[in-house]
This record gives sequence, C-alpha cells and structure tokens, in this order.
Amino acid sequence: MIRGGNGETIGRVVATEALPAGPHQFHFWTATDTTLGIGAIVRVDADSGRRVYAVVVDGRAYSDLATPLHEVVAAEGDPSGVPAPTRRTEVRLWTAAVLRHEPEEPVQPVPLAEVRLASQADVEMALRMDGYVRCEQPTGIPVGVYRAGGLTAPVSLDADFLLGPESAHLNISGVSGLATKTSAVEFMLASIFQRLPSHKGSVAAVCFNVKGPDLCFLDQPGELTEADRELYAALEIEPRPFDGVQYFAPFKPDGVNLNTLRSHAELVGSVQPLVWGLREVLNYHEVLLNRDDIDAKADAFLDFLADRVVEKEFRDDWGGTHRVRSFADLERLFRSIFDGLEQAGRSDVWRTHHIATIRKVRNRLINISTRCRGLVTDDGSVNDLPFGAFEDRAVYVLDVSGMDQLGQDLVFTRVVSMLREHLERGDLGVEHVVVFVDELNKYAPADGPDTYVRKMLLDISERGRYLGLVLFAAQQFRSQVHRRIVGNAGTMVFGRMDMDELATPGYQVLSPATKIKLATLPKGELMVRHPHFTQPVFVRFPRPAVMSGPAGVRRYPPAADVPFEEAVVRQLAALDRRVSPARIKDSMAGRREEDVRRALLATKRARPDDVVGFFTANLGRTVAREQVRREGSSATIPLRQVEDPYAT
Amino acid sequence: MGGPAPPPEQTAFLDGIQRYAVEGRFGLVPVVRGYVAAAALRREGDRLRLAEHEAEEMIVVPLERISPGQRQALADTGIPLLDCEAGERAHPVVDVQLAARAVERRREELEVAVATALLRSEPDSWLVVDGGLGGLTHLLGSAPRVLGLIKSHETQFLDGPDLEVAVTLPEGHRSSVFARRVGGRSSVYTWYLRLWSWEDRDLLHGLVRIERPATDAALAEATAVSRWLLAERAPLSAPDGRWDRLLYPIRQVETFLRAQVGGWW
Repeated sequence: MIRGGNGETIGRVVATEALPAGPHQFHFWTATDTTLGIGAIVRVDADSGRRVYAVVVDGRAYSDLATPLHEVVAAEGDPSGVPAPTRRTEVRLWTAAVLRHEPEEPVQPVPLAEVRLASQADVEMALRMDGYVRCEQPTGIPVGVYRAGGLTAPVSLDADFLLGPESAHLNISGVSGLATKTSAVEFMLASIFQRLPSHKGSVAAVCFNVKGPDLCFLDQPGELTEADRELYAALEIEPRPFDGVQYFAPFKPDGVNLNTLRSHAELVGSVQPLVWGLREVLNYHEVLLNRDDIDAKADAFLDFLADRVVEKEFRDDWGGTHRVRSFADLERLFRSIFDGLEQAGRSDVWRTHHIATIRKVRNRLINISTRCRGLVTDDGSVNDLPFGAFEDRAVYVLDVSGMDQLGQDLVFTRVVSMLREHLERGDLGVEHVVVFVDELNKYAPADGPDTYVRKMLLDISERGRYLGLVLFAAQQFRSQVHRRIVGNAGTMVFGRMDMDELATPGYQVLSPATKIKLATLPKGELMVRHPHFTQPVFVRFPRPAVMSGPAGVRRYPPAADVPFEEAVVRQLAALDRRVSPARIKDSMAGRREEDVRRALLATKRARPDDVVGFFTANLGRTVAREQVRREGSSATIPLRQVEDPYAT
Repeated sequence: MGGPAPPPEQTAFLDGIQRYAVEGRFGLVPVVRGYVAAAALRREGDRLRLAEHEAEEMIVVPLERISPGQRQALADTGIPLLDCEAGERAHPVVDVQLAARAVERRREELEVAVATALLRSEPDSWLVVDGGLGGLTHLLGSAPRVLGLIKSHETQFLDGPDLEVAVTLPEGHRSSVFARRVGGRSSVYTWYLRLWSWEDRDLLHGLVRIERPATDAALAEATAVSRWLLAERAPLSAPDGRWDRLLYPIRQVETFLRAQVGGWW
C-alpha cells in the first residue's frame, strides 16, 4: 500500500524497444494493490543523482493471457465452471509525463530506476513552485491542494503569470450544474485577495453576474464542512466572505425597483442602481446599433453628435441654442432640426448630413432608452461604478442577469472599456482588476459575427496583462470560444467536462485516461494548466466561504416589486432606518416621477446623514398652486338683475 | 474419477533452472560458467507469492586438470569454483557435458534445499515439483505431500496392454497407481493422468505422470489429487508450447526464475 510521499519505492521504470523511456515520457510498473492513480506526481531517482519529476497520465493493467481464446479453452467454454485456482499474473503499467528534470540540462531519457511517490517538497519542485513560493519575494497564489496516496500538498499559481505582467488571465471550463466554475472563481478571488503580496500592489475585482443569483451574496458567509476548513487551513487562507463588496444593478423598466435578485429588504440597501445617460451610451453606440445600421453616413453623423453637440453649447441654424445632456435634450434638438428644415423649404440636407440619415440615427438613438429602459435614462441622471476610486481588495458586482443580451453587452463593453482607460492612465484606484465573465462563449464565440464585445475581449486578452486588466472567464465549452481569447489565458482550469467536448481538437494533448478523469471529475476538483506546470495537474479546492446563489435566495427571498412610492420609501429606509415613510411620501406628493427618481439616485449615491432632508432638497422647488375660488362662494358670478323686456 | 475439484488450501509449486556456457579454456580444458536457481511459489488465495528462492553462479572446471596458478586465477574472479568429473582423456565436447552434468546436479541440490526450507516452514503444505522425485529421495520419508509432475514420457515404465491403457486414457481419467524405484532403495507411487483430450492430437497430448512418496495415503488420495490437478488446467499456461501438460503455477515459477537470471541470458 502506498503511503504519503515518505520516499518508499512504489514502482520501477521499465523500458523496451517498443515502449522506451524518453525525456518527456516514461513507463513504470507498480504492485496491483497500489493506490496510485491518474494525476499522481512521482519522482524517479537515478544513481547518478539525476531526479525526474513526473505526473501519471495513463495506466494499464494486463495479464500474461496471450489471447482470450486461452481463457475459453481453460474454462472449456463455460464461464460458470470451476474458477481457476490461480489468478494470472497481472501488471499495472503506468505512463508518466515528465514535469521536470533536475538538473535541467542535459535533457536525457528518464533513467530506468526506482519510482517514488512525491513528497510535499517534491510537488513544489515538480511544479517549479520553488521559484515563486520559496523565494525572497514570493508570488504564490494558492489554487488548491494536490492529493495522492495520503499526501496533501498546497499548489500555488504564480501571481506574475496570473495577474500579469508575464502572462495573465484565467479561463475555466466545465459542464454546468456542478458548482465548479463559479465556485472556483470565487475561491480564487478570495485566494488572490488574501495572499497577493503587498509588493504586487493593489487589486480589485469586477464581476458580471449574468445569470440567476450566482454572485449576489458574496458578502454573506456560506456553509463549510470540516473538510473544507481543513483545505483552507492547508492553503493558509481564512474562510470568510468578501469584506468590501459593492453591488450595482439597473432598475426595472418602472425605473425604481432594482432589477436584481438581491432585493430582499435586508440587502437591497447595499445595491446601487446602475444608471447611465446619453454620454455614457453614445460612445458605445456600436454595441447598441445593429451592424447594418452603421453605414459610413450614420457613423459620421454619430461622430458629429458626440464631438460637437453632446454636453456642449450648440446653436442650430434657426436661432436655437441647445445643451444636450440627455436623450430628452437630444430629442428636442432633433425636433428643432426637422422643424427648421421644414420651415426652410424643401432642403434635405443639414450641415452636410442628409435628413434621412438624421432620421435614421434619431430613431435608433431615441429608441435606446426604450430598449435599455432601467439602465439608460432619458433625463441624464447617472450612477456609475466608482471609476477612479476603486478600493483595494474590493469586489464590484454588476448584476445584469435581468437584462437582455443587448443591455448586458452595453454594460460589459462600457465597464471594461472604462477600466482599461483608467488603468492606462493609472488612475483607477487599484493596479490590478480582475474581470470575471461567465458564459464567455456568448460574448466571444468562436464563430459568428465579429462584434464589438468580442473585439474588446480580444484586446483585453492580448494587451490586458500589461495594464493589470485580467480576464477570469468561464464557459461550458471551451471549443466554442474564440481561439485567441482562450489561447491568451495563461492559466487554464477545467472542471468536469463533457465527453463530446473532450473529443474536440483542443484536448488532443490530453491522454485518454486524463480525459476520462476529466469527464468524471467530482465536485471540488479541477485540472489546472499554468505556465510553470509542464503538464496539467489535478487539485482539490474548498467550496467558497460565501453564500451560494440558491442558498442566498432561500435565506433572503427576493422582494416582490412594489408601487413607485413604496419602492422609494423602502430604498431610502434601507439607507437610514429612522426615516419616516409618511414624511417621504409627503415630500413626493405632486412630484413628477422623473424628479423623484433623480432625487433618489442622488441620495443613494451620496448616502447622506440626513437622508430625508437630502432627498427632499434634491427634489427641487415646487411651484405652489393658488386657490382661485374663495371659500364658500360660487364659482360663477351672477348677473346683475336687470329688466329684460324680452323675458317671458 | 469425477471432474475437477478445488485444490488444497496450502499448496506450493517448485521448479529450478540451470544455465551454462563455456567461457574459455585452459588448453583443452573447458572453463564453464554456470548458473542455477530454484524457487517455490506459495499460493495464497488465488495469488502466487514467492516462498523460497535460491540462486548460485559458479565456475565449473575439472580442478585436477588445471594448474594451481590457473585455479588461483579462477578463484580471483570471486565466483565460487565447482569441481567436476574429468573424463579419462581430454575431450573438448565430453568435458563440457561433464561440466553441464555438474551444473545439473547443483540445480537438483538447490531444489532440495528450497523444498526442505519450504516444508520446514510449512510442513502441512502440498508441494508440486516440476519433474520426478528422483532428486528428492532423502525427503520422501518425511514429506508425504510432495508431488512430482512429469511432462515428458521418454522413460517407459509400462509395457503391452498396460502401456496402451496408460497412453490412451480419455480426458479426465487416470491410470491405476503403480510403484517405481528411485535412487536405489526408495520407491515412489506413480500414475498417469490425462489432463486434456488427445483425440485428433498426439497420443501424449495432455498426458502427465504423477509421482508421490510411496505411502498408503498416496494410494488413497490418488483420485482426489488427480481431480485437483484437473482443476489446475486453468488458467492455461499457453502460449507455452507445453501448455497441455504444464501447470500454470509451475510456469510462473519458471517465469520468475528466468526473470531473475537477468543479464545471464
């Protein structure tokens, strides 16, 4: 029986002419009752002092039976006959892929020597972790533990290769429903936040919650087993939820109820509305407009609007002055143009732009506020991520799960573009940002149209590592994601995989046994590829110490949508429990909903001490109505009594 | 006789091998390098485990034919010297045969040593030996459960109708037990057993001869022993050409010993 890496010989390298030992692969046999398995790390010691570390990638068992016919003959054709008194001699023959030679040069075939199970020190050597875990300025980020034959050894990734600048990005694949992909990313973020050394700088994470309540409870503690706690202890990570989580979600079309499953009364106060106006959208019009819409003429007019009109003092040709800050302002400008052209006669051109182009652009742009209602406002009010004031070790969750694909694309594109711009200028507030995107195959499919989102993802994957913009992406089928995006991920993580997916060309480098293991991987186990690891390594990670989406929904059931007034009251009450609902309702009485929304947004953004006072102040002045009818008098004044000669 | 029956729980299997080669000559005198080994595998459950193993390497030479200097030179190799019979006159072929005979004798001695060691530690165990019991005569009195399994039938013990009965036994049948003398004074009981049908094949196909020390028990147990030997047909020792007579465990002893020879052959 194998024990945990205590240096006992468990096998011997064998080599024949047909099955030779090479520098990168060799074969060894073990006893039949071995606990060795696929993924175990072994060490070969040659008498010369050379050491070879390798990972088991395949295993075979066979006996000295030359042909099945011999068994038939021996049993005289009756499989239920007297069993053979002697079991045939069997061999367990393993194939191992070399992880490292020590010394590295000259590269030689693996010596035909004894094979031992790796110890913890051997695991570090085999995975080249000694270079970044045992050094003056360690950069190890625990990803899980390696387990084989009773040995539990932490496995770490190199932060320089996970967050840049050497390489960056992490891509995780796995079938849905096994709580692997999201859990693994949540655990990795916790690991990064707790173990990223100070000399590597600050880091924050931006997570796009694209489905269900997956990422809605990162600040709530989750349930852990004793085994999970042992794993955390082995990895020297404290099992606790994230400290600084900021939630953002757009409104629902009613403009006041937040479009998120984190709408329980106890939690909704910590969700900030994500609201954008014209300026925020116009720069990303390509995302929102169909490719067919944007011909050269429309593109030129959009550029004109962005450069010359929006948020500038603009005079039309008919004496009007416009300062366009919102979709409503823009609509007024368009109306002036159309009216002006109509009054001027039969001219079809305004400032070199044909009226048909102007109408087309107007229709598409004005319609955006309808298509993305809840996120995009007509009135110009804005509530955005704190670009420029990102906090170290903070998680910014954007819950876009309730939005349609178009809205999700817009949020994703703009947020990531803003992150990139700020990182380029070095004024984001942190030096590294991990952007987590699930369902990457939706945003960057291997085939299909070359969308703006996909182009941007390509740009991040190719240039992000220099900026500190790191993409953590997950998808079910890696083969369905753009090759360059997948290929640029320095670290690849695989949960349980679908056999059809494993049959695709991207997995040809894996041995059949490794594929089988991947197809049957239990929850909590991953296969990791990392630049320092010559071969994929299997690790086990603990479940994240945060509340899972389904558990969160059970514990904090989402609140039902409430009427406008009530929703405002609740959101303000979430900021300060002392506020009087009656007072808020009084202050809202007679106000337009747009004004109330704007005031609510400003209050949530400012989080003032005096919530009601601030809210009321932001509602603006009211124009009081005057009572024109005197109390007790009739509304009509009777005519003076005169004699009417024609009266009868 | 009945069909195959489960073998005894405690059973071991013994075999030996020998190798020799002429390494050189002092004049006409051949210097033969020899290797002998014997091993016994014990069956535990349905698995074979090594119980005893002896191996020796030697230089075989007729010492009376070589000079003290030559003898010293051989001794300096560190390999034990084994004296062998010298022919009446030097003969390049006969002298080698004499040396080979010495190697064979040494192999038999090793087999005895292994059998003795095994039976000392496991006196109740059955021991199936590959070949006759001629080399184990001094054990015969104290080891009633030793059993020799002879695959070759060059030596003829029966004549006429008896012989015909013996060599035409149908599958799963045995002959009656008869005695034969070995090593002068001792005698063993022996009988023929047909393991596999010989029809459409050679007459000797699947025919083995069993030897046991001449005791009453051997007579009484002849059928029972034959039945469990029938059970030993599985697993088949194919692709060995002797699969019809070679028991799988005996083949495994051979395989083990050959593997131990290492660089010798």
